[in-house]
Parts: sequence; C-alpha cells; structure tokens
Amino acid sequence: MLAIDAHDLAKTFRTGWPRRRETHALRGVSLTVARGAIVGVLGPNGAGKTTLLSILTTLLVPDRGRATILGHDLAREPGAIRRRLNMASGNASFLWSLRVEEIIAFYGRLYGLGGRALAARVEELLGFAELGPHRRVPYNELSTGLKQRLALAKSLVNQPELLFLDEPTLGLDPDVAIRLRAQIAALRRRRGTTIVLTTHYMREAEELCDEIAFIKSGRLLAHGSPEELKRAIRLGDVIALRVEAGGAAALAGLPGILRTTAEDGRVELTVDSAQKRLGEVLQRLHESGAVVRDLEVREPQLEDVFIELAK
Amino acid sequence: MMRHELIRIWAFALRNLLMASRNIFFVFELTFWPTVGVLSIGLMTRFLRLSPADTSFVLIGTVALSTVQVCQLDVAYAVLYDVWSKSMKHQFLAPIAVRHLTLGSWLVGIARGLVVFALLAGLAWWAFDFNPFRIGGGALAVFLLGCFLTAWIVGVLVCALVMLFGTRAEASAWATVNLVLVLSGIYYPVSLLPGPVAAVASAIPLTYFLDAFRSHFGFASGFASPLARGFGLSAAYILAAHWGLRAALDRTRRSGLLLKMSE
Repeated sequence: MLAIDAHDLAKTFRTGWPRRRETHALRGVSLTVARGAIVGVLGPNGAGKTTLLSILTTLLVPDRGRATILGHDLAREPGAIRRRLNMASGNASFLWSLRVEEIIAFYGRLYGLGGRALAARVEELLGFAELGPHRRVPYNELSTGLKQRLALAKSLVNQPELLFLDEPTLGLDPDVAIRLRAQIAALRRRRGTTIVLTTHYMREAEELCDEIAFIKSGRLLAHGSPEELKRAIRLGDVIALRVEAGGAAALAGLPGILRTTAEDGRVELTVDSAQKRLGEVLQRLHESGAVVRDLEVREPQLEDVFIELAK
Repeated sequence: MMRHELIRIWAFALRNLLMASRNIFFVFELTFWPTVGVLSIGLMTRFLRLSPADTSFVLIGTVALSTVQVCQLDVAYAVLYDVWSKSMKHQFLAPIAVRHLTLGSWLVGIARGLVVFALLAGLAWWAFDFNPFRIGGGALAVFLLGCFLTAWIVGVLVCALVMLFGTRAEASAWATVNLVLVLSGIYYPVSLLPGPVAAVASAIPLTYFLDAFRSHFGFASGFASPLARGFGLSAAYILAAHWGLRAALDRTRRSGLLLKMSE
C-alpha cells in the first residue's frame, strides 16, 4: 500500500517583470513511498527538495504530473489530503505573541478539534515534545530548539498518517537533535506514521530512513535504501592501513583495487569488495616484507554517496 | 460538520482576540485615533459655526469612518498576521476555507467596532450634543450592520490583494478603506461628487447605509429603498470578494507566493 504515488511532477517558478526569469525547480520527478516508511529526500541546496515536499503537501500546484496521496488525487481532493497529513519545517515560524499551548490549540481547531478532545491533544503534545514547562511562554521568547519542538508538536495535532519534515533538526544543538530524532523514530514505531523528511545531515538520514530519494537540479537521480544506493553507485569499500617498510608499490597490479592513495606510511585502498580483497592485500604486503601496524576497513557512508551524486 | 465549521471560525476569532489583547498599538487603534478624529472634526464644526443638523451630518460620517476602519482592519489581520509572522503556509496546510478566516476575524472586528462606536457616540453626545442613540435600537443596529458588512467586504478585498502581491500590498489595509469612505460620502452628500465618481459611489453599499441613517436625522434620502440596495450590494460583494480571495489563494499556490510569504 502506497502513501505517495507521484508521477512526473514538474514545477517552474517565474519571477521578475518585465523580463521574466524562469527557474526549473522540478523537472519530472516520480516517487513512491510505502505506508509506514521513513523516506529521506536528499540533495544539494536548490535541488528541488522543498518544492517537492510543498507539492506533495498541497501548498504548491505542479505545472505537470500527477500524484495520489493516501489514496486521494492531489489535484482533485486536496481537502481530503490536508485532513490526513501535516508538516513541520526546521525554520517554522508562528504568531509571535501567542503562547506555546495557544499555538497548538489554534492549529488543533483548524482541524476541527474542540472542547475536551482539543484540551487532551494539547496536553498530549506538550508532553510528547517536552514543552510542558514552556506552555505559557510566548513564541518570540522561545529558543531555537523549543521552536523546533513546537513545530513538531504542531505537526502532530491532527495525528497525521503522513508527516513531512523539512530539515527538522536544522540549527539544533547535537543533544537536542538526538532527542528530536528519537521522537521522530518513535512516531513511526508507535503510530505507524509515514514520514518524508529532508535533511542535510547524512547521519540523520542514515539513522532514520528506510529509503533515500536523491534529487539534483530538479531530477530524481537515485532512490533506494542507503545500502542499495551505496551498491548502485559502486563507491567501493576502503581499506586503510598504516605500514612500515614498503607499502603501496607492493600492491600494484592487484585486481579489484579502484583507487590508491599513499602518504607518510598511510595507505588507503578503495576496493570493489573489502571482504573479497583484504586477504590478497595482506598477503601481498607480507610477501613484500611490509609490516602492517594498523588496519581499518570502512564501508562507504551515505555522505560519500551524497558527494558522488552531487558532483 | 457544523460543529467543525464553528470551531474553525472560532479559531480565527480567538486568535485575533488574543493578538489584539497583547499589543498596546491595538489599544491606540481602538481608542486614540478614533477619539482624535471625533474631537478634531467636532471642534471644526464649532469653528465653522455649523448648525446642529449639519454637525450631526458630519459626525455621523466621522463615527462611521472609525467603526468601519477598525472592523475592516481586523478582517485584514486575518492574512496580515500570518504575513508578518511568516506562518502563512501552516494555516493553509490545514483543511480550512477562506470563509473560516474572514468570518472569524470579522466577528472580532464587529466586537471592536461596537466598542469604537459606543465610545465615539458617547463622546459626540457629551461634547457636541449629537446623540446617535435617539433614533432607536433597530435603526442603529441596521446602520451598524451596514458598516460592518462594508468593513467585511473591504477587509476581504485587502486580504486578496495581500495574497496576490505579498507585503507590497500591506498599505492597502489602511488605504483601501479610506478610499471607499471618501467615495461613499462620509462628510458630504454623494450628489456633490462629479458624475463618474458619483456613479462609483452609487456602487458602494456604505453610501446607502449612510443615506438611510442620516434620513433619521432629518436629511432627505437621495435614493429609493437605500437599505434594500445597500444589503443587496453587500450580499453580492461579499460573495464576489470571497470568490476573489479564493482565486487569489489558488494563484499563490500556483505561483509559489504562499511559500515565499512563509520564509
């Protein structure tokens, strides 16, 4: 069952007068997201991530393409979609003099919540986002971390089946970001919420996401699990060695070595498969009389995939 | 379903109420400027030695001006608050219709308009012997309803302009209503206006509400069935203004301005 089934979404922004400038933000992106999945949309600045999220949340109308969100047609049933999804942005902003509890209650009312149901939901979300002690603080007096937590609390006010998070940990201290990530993971675990998030933090994407969609210049370049992407890009594994007496020269001609760097006794070999090549590498070094003092095998990180795709 | 409708309308009413109650400038908006208006115009009528009838003609316009202005601003705030706080996208992410935000804000506008009217009417009575209450509750209520309907229309129009042009249209929140008031004969009969301008005036509902209200103070009505015309035009404009606001919102979703106003 799909939460998102989008085909060939395209969007061009036209600005300026009298000379119109065109920015092709999306150039035909197709994306499917299974219900209950956490999918990360990654890409360099200006890649079209926020545009894609904005289209999928009905905030922006695409020039071309079609999509079904939670079984509803994006163009024909935006109201039905809005009832069942929500969104939090890392740079979210709310009315400056409303208090934390009033902001959550205001958005709750927009979803038709009232009376005891609204009061209970506000309490639940204040607890979830650990905002209880700050409930009566006006928005403009909150720290960045508290604002982010409020944005997350607000985005859960209608108990969305599909949640979009645009840079949810942007600008947060590491400890706050870790707690926020734990809360995001808990959402899927406890409620089965489908989550689509954008982030510039690769560790965050690797930790949270089942699948990654990589966008660049308005096009979807790759889509799959982090492992699938690493394999597909063929970045290879890295064997890092510290050797005495001899080194890189002894390894010349070995099969499976994609790249070699050597400096001050440190040798880094990028190989097609560390599992397959490690034995041969060590044997060749041993035969040449080199002494291996340190050894590390690294699989490629999502960050390496990002750098490779963003090139 | 009806309960959900009312809750959504109440959301905007409560929001405007909370925002208004926490800003000292809103108190000025409610008391200072309207009071200055009535006092300065009232004193001018003394200086010009206007008859009590002419004084009442002018003061009706002054009181109406402040009442419409205050109520209209509240409707405009429905969108302006979100533009100023850059939170526009959050409310339109929710399953709301434009009627929820304009109606909720209008209700607060009515409450604030009534406060302004009571304050100014009392001041005009005390300082200039003009008692707007003497015509009776029914006629007064009809006049105030006319003022508030006009404010609603202008406020929704301002919301649509802000939606279309962003912060560049902010000034329209204060400018548009003054233009409407000038054209509807705020201090003078619209018969004084040159032909084409008078034709525009005759398309403004407030022209008829002022005309009908002044007839209770002895001024001959310049129109046949002014109230029917006023309410008829109001109904048509309210529908048209909401259609326009909805169209403007759709356009911001296509142009991306909805997102830009949230950044």
